This record gives sequence, structure tokens and C-alpha cells, in this order.
Amino acid sequence: MSTLLWRSLLRHLLRHPWQLALAVLGIALGVAVVLAVDLANQSARKSFEQSVERVSGRANYRIVGIDGVPQEVYVRLRLERGLRDSAPRVEGYPALADEPGRRVQLLGLDPLAEAPFQRWRPADGEALDLRRLMLEPDAAVFPPDIPGDSLMLIREGLRHRLRAAGRLQGTAAAGLVIVDIATAQRLLGLGERITQIDLILPEDAEGRRQAAELRQWLPAGLRLERSAERNAATAELSAAFRLNLQALSLLALLVGMFLIYNTMTFAVVQRRPLLGMLRALGAERGELFRVVLGEAVALGLAGTVLGALLGVWLGSGLVGLVTRTIDDLYYTLPLRQFHLEPLSLLKAGVLGPTASALAAWWPAREAAASPPATVLSRATLESRRRAAVPRLALLGLGLLAAGGLWLWLSRGLLAGFFGLFLLLAGCALLSPGLPLLLAWALRRVWLWLPPTLRMAGRSLGRHLSRTGVAVAALSVALAASLGVGVMVDSFRGGVEIWLRQLLSADLYLAPVEQDGTALRPEVVAALQRLPEQAGLNLSRHRDIWLDGHLTHFSAVRLTPQGQAGYRLLAGDPVTAWAALVEGDAVLISEPLAYRRRLAPGDRITLDTAAGPRPFTVVGIFHDYGSEHGRILIDLARYQALWQDPAISTASLYAAPGQGVEALRRAVEAGPGRLQALALRSNRDILELSLAIFDRTFTVTRVLRLLVVIVAFVGILSALLALQLERAREFAVLRAVGLLPTELGRLMTAETALLGLCAGLAALPCGLLLAEVLIEVINRRAFGWTLPFQVDPILLVQTVALAVAAAALAGLYPAWRLARTPPAWALRTE
Amino acid sequence: MRPPPSPLIELRGLGKSYREGERSRSVFQGLTLAIERGAQVALLGPSGSGKSTLLNLLAGIDLPDAGTLKVDGIELPRLDEGARTRFRRRHVGFVFQFFNLIPTLTVAENIRLPLELNGLDTPAELARVAALLARVGLQDRQHSYPEQLSGGEQQRVACLRALIHRPALLLADEPTGNLDIASGRRVLELLLELTAEAGSTLLLVTHSNEVAETCERVLELRQGRLVQVRP
Repeated sequence: MSTLLWRSLLRHLLRHPWQLALAVLGIALGVAVVLAVDLANQSARKSFEQSVERVSGRANYRIVGIDGVPQEVYVRLRLERGLRDSAPRVEGYPALADEPGRRVQLLGLDPLAEAPFQRWRPADGEALDLRRLMLEPDAAVFPPDIPGDSLMLIREGLRHRLRAAGRLQGTAAAGLVIVDIATAQRLLGLGERITQIDLILPEDAEGRRQAAELRQWLPAGLRLERSAERNAATAELSAAFRLNLQALSLLALLVGMFLIYNTMTFAVVQRRPLLGMLRALGAERGELFRVVLGEAVALGLAGTVLGALLGVWLGSGLVGLVTRTIDDLYYTLPLRQFHLEPLSLLKAGVLGPTASALAAWWPAREAAASPPATVLSRATLESRRRAAVPRLALLGLGLLAAGGLWLWLSRGLLAGFFGLFLLLAGCALLSPGLPLLLAWALRRVWLWLPPTLRMAGRSLGRHLSRTGVAVAALSVALAASLGVGVMVDSFRGGVEIWLRQLLSADLYLAPVEQDGTALRPEVVAALQRLPEQAGLNLSRHRDIWLDGHLTHFSAVRLTPQGQAGYRLLAGDPVTAWAALVEGDAVLISEPLAYRRRLAPGDRITLDTAAGPRPFTVVGIFHDYGSEHGRILIDLARYQALWQDPAISTASLYAAPGQGVEALRRAVEAGPGRLQALALRSNRDILELSLAIFDRTFTVTRVLRLLVVIVAFVGILSALLALQLERAREFAVLRAVGLLPTELGRLMTAETALLGLCAGLAALPCGLLLAEVLIEVINRRAFGWTLPFQVDPILLVQTVALAVAAAALAGLYPAWRLARTPPAWALRTE
Repeated sequence: MRPPPSPLIELRGLGKSYREGERSRSVFQGLTLAIERGAQVALLGPSGSGKSTLLNLLAGIDLPDAGTLKVDGIELPRLDEGARTRFRRRHVGFVFQFFNLIPTLTVAENIRLPLELNGLDTPAELARVAALLARVGLQDRQHSYPEQLSGGEQQRVACLRALIHRPALLLADEPTGNLDIASGRRVLELLLELTAEAGSTLLLVTHSNEVAETCERVLELRQGRLVQVRP
């Protein structure tokens, strides 16, 4: 292919450095967001894997129970079954006394059984003898990130000092403290129980036979499971969250692709005369197509390189937000490291140029179809574009209908996102017609407008070939941002209503430790006797196996007020609570009912202490506490069937005439002296919960902001280029007597009106997206229903943002033109 | 006895019309013409008479509605779009009223472009570019961009670009229409000189009788009909 052909087109871009830079920046931001989210997600996954691997070593099976495993089972396993490749493990996450909020992963091992498992690595050159841990009390192997020879852990208000008997190496060992099993049991208050027993069984038929025999042999309440399956299931807990982030990042890329499309369309439209000349000289369609597409790929590559750098920087910031959210909502992540995954970089490397090529496909075809010479005038082109608007709008309506139908018929989260993207595309195709509509509307009030606004209004529909895509790109980005904003607001509103309803008691208390420690029986007894209370709710929270999946399980004894806090979506509240007390009945949360397609009257089987037992679902309650579902059972029935007298939390109602503060003082003075308790009023819990909610949506807000920035760059680039391109037209206006200030007003009014079009288009589209996010995406991802709440300020903000971004794009060309003598602009154009 | 050489351009019963909204507007009907190889022909006619349309048809840019259109023995309407482009690339040179140089290529690159597109960019041919530039007094401007040249200089470059690959047909659409008298005369001389040297056939569209007089044959498009003015 002719190098001169390449040169002739590429030099055009180089002659418009602002346009080129903004295009590259648009692609770079799109790629950066996708890469950053991917890196953050992958880092979270890798951190999880590393934190599992470092304590699992070569173990391929494990024996677990809901409340751990009695130590004697391990002894019998070695003696009766002769399983030598087995080792006990105690694991917990105690807090560092000197660094509030920081936890370590405490691993308790039996040094004598450890050899086959190879699950730790001491520092270089240091021969670490784990037997020292048995011989020296409070000896521990320290992680590389805790300096010094001692560290202080805190549990139940009591401090435990550990002394360094060795040190692990490598970043993968961060936050891991190894002690002997007895020390760990003591520190974590486990008594004679261990967390699990790790096993190495052969990976063949013999291994499977041994596993089957072992399952028969295990006492009730214990399970033998493959380590990898359990770890995968745990990692799966946050899958929907990670998928949602990925989708949001893809939205940024979609907006980025719009920008590339916009840039390339613009570049092609601008160069129509040039392309026509080349066609007249004999350049073939295929050659022009390849050159324009190649140009887009080159831009994509440049954007990708910049985007990769930005993405790595952004990803290293996002990983903290993502891991904190996973930590808040799903499971403990002791490692929170940023991993630069080559696969993520490769994906971004492919994504940028591919997205650029895809986005440039249509403009490249248009370039190739340019008629030779200057047969097609600009006026003809614009009138063609105007004529295409109804067709595009019709296609947009078709896509909206197809998206709606798809969402209605499909199931699954990915299918939901596909439907969402169809709707977005439909909205995008509808928006280029808006400038025409606004121009028409302005004509109705023509005489009332100042002259510059009248001129600006007239030109609205005259540059559709240049502005149509820009308006569509901005409206899609704003719609996406508005949709996500409304969804988050609705979600927050829903959570707040739910919490206010649920938190009916005045004072809530739990052990200070958040590691499953129970309230002591004497504390519960003291609470019951407390004269300042008029009602007491007791709860036991734990996880339970449901068809192989760990599910939140709450056994409750609630006052009528406490029961009223649970809003039943299905089932009769009166009979349901009665059934709970009287028989084998449970209430289940909405997400669980949605995921398992359960309804009142259905039965589920739970593993009790005496083995599996069927329970009837008598109601479905509204619950945002866990996307994986919760089961509610009567406390007395639970204690009888699971033989577990422990109480996890309690809540109290103040007696008449007693304020919350008086109740708090009474608890602190009485039961609070028996155990270190965390006391919180319902207001405290509400505030704390909403703070956690806001924290978990920080990452969403960051991504939302990035999408808007990408769109902002897009609109800036498109409108800037348009106004600069029209320098001659504006110079003529200057020549016939328009003042620079009037010209500035005209140019800014033109771009602001285009921004208004985009902002107005974004409103219905954004609300539609919000509805889909709430009714389809959230439902499929998390299984809960949310109220639809729209803050009018958000709508005003959306339009204001669009107008401001667009008006800003008119400022620079106006400033530049005001400083240029009209004669010069007329001559050089 | 050898048969007489076939004409380079053969038009028989050529018709072309355009749609204007619901109506169709006929530009010309039944146009018949033969132009011999190496001839220098001027085409006169008022604005809107279809002169540029005829040039577009001869270059394969546009297609007739009726009749036969042969250039260099090739029936253009029978070719697909790609073949017509390749035909134009190889057999046709274009000079426009508004120069239409590629603004992003230098003077030398503009002239080299047809050579490159035709795969003729050998060292010998590239050396010819420099020689031709020297001949028209633009050797110092070969690295300049078109916008840095005067109108007369730009049109001289356009003439070199149109003829560098020795096309069989040179189509010039009012090449002096945008120039002052002296520059126009210089460009016209160059055009006639170079086409004669290259053995190309020149079809020159003009409004000016004075320009038309420089050609050996003059035609006029009048109300959709071709009229032979001279000889």
C-alpha cells in the first residue's frame, strides 16, 4: 500500500494535535478503567488464593464442621484410621492491640505433623525448627511485615503477647503469624476444638475410596471436602460483586468506544475533500478503508499504552477499595496486595486496539465510500445525515424493544447485562435527533430569544455529521452515570428503610470480638434480670450447610416488636411466627428464595446435630444483610436440634420511663462487667451500616466519575474540533461586524445547546437504565428488590454537567478566534 | 494498409440525468463524440451545461444512464467500481480549477503519489519528479506544503501530478479559472507542452474562448448537445 496515502492521512491528525491528544486520552481512559478494575479484581482473587495456599500447602482434602472440629477427632483419625498425612489447623483473625483495625491471620499448627504439608517458608538461610513453638510458650513465627521481636494481640479485651521465634519471607507471607496449636486455641478461645483437619489423600481411585470410607466414619456435623472446591466456593461469594464492577468498567470502555467512533467519524468527515481527491487520483476503496482502520488501530495502540500506565496506577488505588468491600461483605482477606497480572495487561493490550478497530469500522467504510473529487458537497452530506435521523431513531426504538424483550425472556446476570447494553445502544441511536428537535422547539419561541441564541439555535441541526455522535456519546455516558446513581441512591434508601424497621430495639450488644465469640451465659442471664429493660431479643448467628453451600443462619427469640421488624414478602406474619415456635419451620430471606426458587410451603433440609432434617419454609422476609441468603429459626428449637446453647447477640428495649442512656449505663454496670461488650444504639448501628454501605459503593462512585470524565473528554474533543473547523465561518461573522464577545457568546451558546441536548437525552435513558439495574441486574446478581427512588438533584446535576462540559468546549475556540484577526482566518482557511 | 488508429474517447448516444427530489433533470441526451489519441480538445459551455459531468463520466467517477462510453477501448460502464478506480489511476490524469493538491503532502510527495499508486516509483521515475520540478522552477519548493505556494505554483504542481505517470487522458476542469492572466497563461502553456510530450489526450473544460483557442479542436456543450466549434 502506498506510504504516501498513509502519510497524507496521518499528517492530517498530526496537524490537529489537540484533537489527536483528546482522542488518545479518550481511548486511554476507557482502557485504563477496564484494566484498573480487572487488576483490582485479579489482585483480590490472587490475594485470596495466596492467603489460602500459604496455609493449605499440599493439603487436598479437609475435615470441617460448622463450629470447628473436636480435637479428639484428629487423635482418633491418626490412631484408628492410621492417616499419617493429616494435620490439625487452627485459624483465626485476631486484632493487633497496637494498631486498631488491623488484623493478622493466626495459624496454629502441630509442628510434629507438619512435614508433609510444606505450608510455610522461613527466612533465607534460617533453619526454622517449628518445635521451638511447642517448647517456648507464646513463641511465634512472625510475618515479614511486622517488625520487632514481639507483637500484642487482643481478644475479649485481653492482651496476648507473642515473641518472635522466626520470621517468614516474601510478600505472600504478609500478615501471617504461626503459633503452635495450643497457643492458637488459647488465643482464639476455641478450647478443645480446632478449625479443621488437613489431609493429603492420593489423587487416584484409591484416594477416592479412602475419602468415601472417611465420610462414613466421620461423626455427625463434620464433613470431608476437597480443599480446592471449598476455596472456589468461597471465592464465588464475591463473584456477583466483581462481575458488577467488571460491567461498570466495560461501560467506561463502551463510552470510550463511542469516543473513538466519534473521533474517527469526525476525522473522516473532516477529510472528505481529501479522501475525494485521493479517490479521484485512483486510490481504491479498500486502500482507504485499510488506512483509516489502521489509523484507528494506531490511535488505539497509543491510547492503550497510555491507558495501561494509567490503569496500573488506578488499579493500585482501586485494589484497596475492592478488597475492603470484599472484606466488609464477603470473607476475610488477610492479604491485600496489588498484583500486576500479565494476563490483565494482555487483555488491555488486545482490548484497546480491537475496540478502536471496531469503533472505526463504520467510519472507515464511510471513508472508503467517499465519492471521488468533491462531488458530494458538505450541504449534501448534512442533509443526508438529517435524512438518516428518523431511520436511526427507528433502529434505536427497535433496539429498545429488543432489549426489553430480551430482559423479559432471559435469565442470568450476563444476559441481563447484554440486555442493558442493547437498551444503551437504543438510547444512543435516539439521541442524535435531539439537536433537530431542540432547534424545532427553539423556533417556537424564536422572537423571544437574544440574537446570538437565535443564531446558535439555527446552527444546531446544521452540523449533525459532526455533532450527532458527540451528543450520543455524552448522553450515553451521562445516562449510565445517572442510572448507576439512581440505583445506588435507591439501594441506600432501601437499606435505610430496612434497617430502621429491623432495628426496633433501643440497645444492641455483642462481644467486643467479631470472631464468632459468644455472649457468656451469665451475661445473658444478667440481661434477662435487668430491671431497666422491657424486652429482650436473643440471637445466635452462624453459618450452616445448605446443599453444600454455607448459608447465614440466625436462631432468634424475638419480642413481638422484634418480629415486626422482619417484613414478610410472602407468608402470613401471624401464622409464620407461630409455626416457627411450634414446629420444624424456617423463614428464609428474599435472596435465598430467589436463588433457590423457594416459596412458602417448600421444604429445605438442614444438617442438625442429629443429622439432616427437613424444615418447611413458612415465610420469606425482606433482607439486605446477605446476597447469599439467610435462614431464620426459633432459638429454642435450634438449641434443641443443634445442641448449641450459645448466644451471639442481644438487643434490649428500654423500660417505660427509662431512656437509652440509662439502659446503657445499667448494662455497663451489670452484664458489662462480666464480659467485654460492644454496646450500640439503633442509631449507632444505622449510621455504622450506612457508612459501610457508602464505603462499599466508593468503588462504584469512582468508576461512575471515570465514565463521566471519559465522556467529558469526548464532548470536549468533538466540539472543540467542530468549532476550530468552523474558524472561517466565524471569521466571516467577525468580518461582517460581530464583536469578539458576541462571537464568544455565540460559540459557547452553540456548544451549550448541544450539551443540553445530551443532558436531556440522558434523563429518560438514565432512568430506564436505573429501572433495569434495580429490577433486573440487582435482582439477578443479589436477589433482592429495591425501591425506585430518584433524587431530583441528581437529574439537575446530570443536565448541568452536560451543559457545563459542552459550554467549556466552546470557550477555547472562542478565545482563540477572538485573538485572531478575521483576515488571517479568512486567508489561511 | 494499416487500419486507422481507434479514437481514445468514443461516446455514442450518451445520456445522463440526475434526480432532484421527485423530479429527474436531464443533463444531456444522445451525446456522440470521438476524440483521437494525442488530441488537444477544449470544451466550452455555460455553467450547468454538463461539462464537469462529462469529465466525471470519462474518468469513471460517474456512470451514464444511456449510451456507450469507451476510453482507450475500454467500455467503462461495464467495469465494476474497483476496476474503474484502477482504470482512472492508470489511464487518467486530473487538473482541477481549485488545484486540489493533498494539503498534508509536500510538493514532491504530491507529484510522486500517482507513481506510487501505480507501483511506478522506481528511482528513475522519482528522478524525473525532481527534473520536472526544476523545469517549472519549483525545485526549491519540493519540500513545501501546498498552502505555502501561490495559486499559479500550486496549479503547476497539479499539472505535474496529473501527467507524471503518463496517462492516456488528461482531464482539466477550468485549470486557469482561479488564476490571474499571467499565471493562467503559464499553466496553460505547461499543460499543452507536457501533454504533447507525454502523448496524452487533453480534454480541457473552460469558459474562456481565449483558452479554448490554444487547442486544436473546440467543442461546445449547449442545451444538452455537443456542437463542434472548430475546426
